Amino acid sequence: MVALYKFFRSIRLAVVLILVIAVLSIVSTLIPQGKDAAFYFHSYGAFRARVILTLDFDDFFRSLLFLIPVGLFFINLSVCTVDRLANQERRKARRRHGPDLIHVGLLLLIIGAMFSVFGRIESLVYMGAGDEIQLQGQYLIRLLNYEYEQYEDGRPKDWISTVEVHRNGELLFASFPIEVNKPLRIGGIRIYQTSFAREDRAFLRDRDGISRPISNGQGFEMEGAVVIFRGIEGHSAVFERWEQHSRTAVYRAAVGERIGEYTVAELGSRDVSGLKAVKDPGFIPVVIALIVVAAGLTLTFIQKGRDRDI
Amino acid sequence: MIATIAFGALIVSAVIQVIYLLRRERRIDPFSHYILLAAAVLLLAVTIDRSIRIRFVAVTNTFESLVFFSAAISLVLFVYRLRSKGKAIPYINFGGTVVAIALLAIASSPIAPREVVPPIPALQSYWLVLHVTLSFIGESFFVVAFICAIYYLASRNEERRKSLDRLTYSTIAVGYPIFTAGALIFGAVWAQTAWGTYWSWDPKETWALITWLIYTAYLHTRFVKKFRGKVSAVLAIVGFAFTMFTFFGVNYLLAGLHSYA
Repeated sequence: MVALYKFFRSIRLAVVLILVIAVLSIVSTLIPQGKDAAFYFHSYGAFRARVILTLDFDDFFRSLLFLIPVGLFFINLSVCTVDRLANQERRKARRRHGPDLIHVGLLLLIIGAMFSVFGRIESLVYMGAGDEIQLQGQYLIRLLNYEYEQYEDGRPKDWISTVEVHRNGELLFASFPIEVNKPLRIGGIRIYQTSFAREDRAFLRDRDGISRPISNGQGFEMEGAVVIFRGIEGHSAVFERWEQHSRTAVYRAAVGERIGEYTVAELGSRDVSGLKAVKDPGFIPVVIALIVVAAGLTLTFIQKGRDRDI
Repeated sequence: MIATIAFGALIVSAVIQVIYLLRRERRIDPFSHYILLAAAVLLLAVTIDRSIRIRFVAVTNTFESLVFFSAAISLVLFVYRLRSKGKAIPYINFGGTVVAIALLAIASSPIAPREVVPPIPALQSYWLVLHVTLSFIGESFFVVAFICAIYYLASRNEERRKSLDRLTYSTIAVGYPIFTAGALIFGAVWAQTAWGTYWSWDPKETWALITWLIYTAYLHTRFVKKFRGKVSAVLAIVGFAFTMFTFFGVNYLLAGLHSYA
């Protein structure tokens, strides 16, 4: 036990682990992350693709190859921190708690990051004016207006989604502008303005004469298969028929023509706002960790300056 | 125009430094650092002028970043020249001036368009301003450390090596907290505000972390007798090489969220 404690107390081990994590991270940046297996076979050949996939280099920062050195570093840093603090307590003068704060902050950061890795939820929705979404069963968000401002040269200046927010039926915000860098915070959720798109819509009228819109990617059931609306080409709506993960047919239908039990009543397109809802239980611990690290860095800097060490 | 004058001032300063370095009596030149200061002031004037024109702090593209980085390096060199009187200072000042000139030369090349254009939505954040400016101020100290480390490895004089090792350490000790605050802390806060994720393993983020790990390793080598000296100096050089790769290499060789910077 003592030998293990001594092993993990070693600064030399810390230096080696830091360099190992750095070198592995370099390799990971040279290999595109999160692609399909076919991409690696096509780009690197069979042997190298197998090495990449076996070692999880395609999802490196969730792989054991990365997590094991980080885990060892976490233990090493924990032991060093405890050891340093114990040594500091024994000292009467020249106590330097700056590095201790940095170390504690980094441990908190790793813990917070783990909360994020395993608990973070995000979802991207595209909404047009008037659309609504439900969040966590208690929040209702309605997009009132979406503006896309441009500079004179045509580059984007701002995207603003003005929303109305209700909580359990009560109005929370009558008009809240969500902009890039200015998210909406409700409960533990943040909603970000992330993108925009032009969306095709087909209005389908059923046998009862009721018309409902469907957008790109949405669909309906037809004769045991799923039919997905893919957009508008020329004057026709394009639909794909999917059965058991295979596309079996492509249909085109202009206004007034039938598709299954529906009739295409109207075709059109509209601007939609891409909003990303994020719930991250690791964010607050990470912010606290960063504050502790910043405090530690400041304290170290002041103490070293006072000791004329720098 | 002002940037061109600043570039000229840096060249003049470098020429004066070379003349004094080649003279037999090895006197430290008395005024090249004031030219460095003038160049820094001119470069900051470029930043202020562009900031007024785009109505935002002008550190949002490669040209503006390089101008700010060169200004920061010139200022750091000026301060070190005033504070330190060691024999190594003229060499360090010269090396640093060459780096500042090289960065401005890149700024004037086609890879860094000079158009004065306001930033796209993701860049309209004061967290970004803190992220960029503090990163470059921290990296300016790493420039000095890099020159010191090279000089350390080239030097045979034990006394001089000691003082160079000390200067390498002190510059990294100053630059490291500033770089940490700028590159990692404010970078994470900005990413969270703009994209809803404080860390996304984007190649630039990963390379900034790798650079930070190298300097972290450097600071810890000071406590391991076997690593002190040569290993430390090599890490200071590798750290600066990685700083430059994070800035240029990632932009042009690896795609990611930072492709505009």
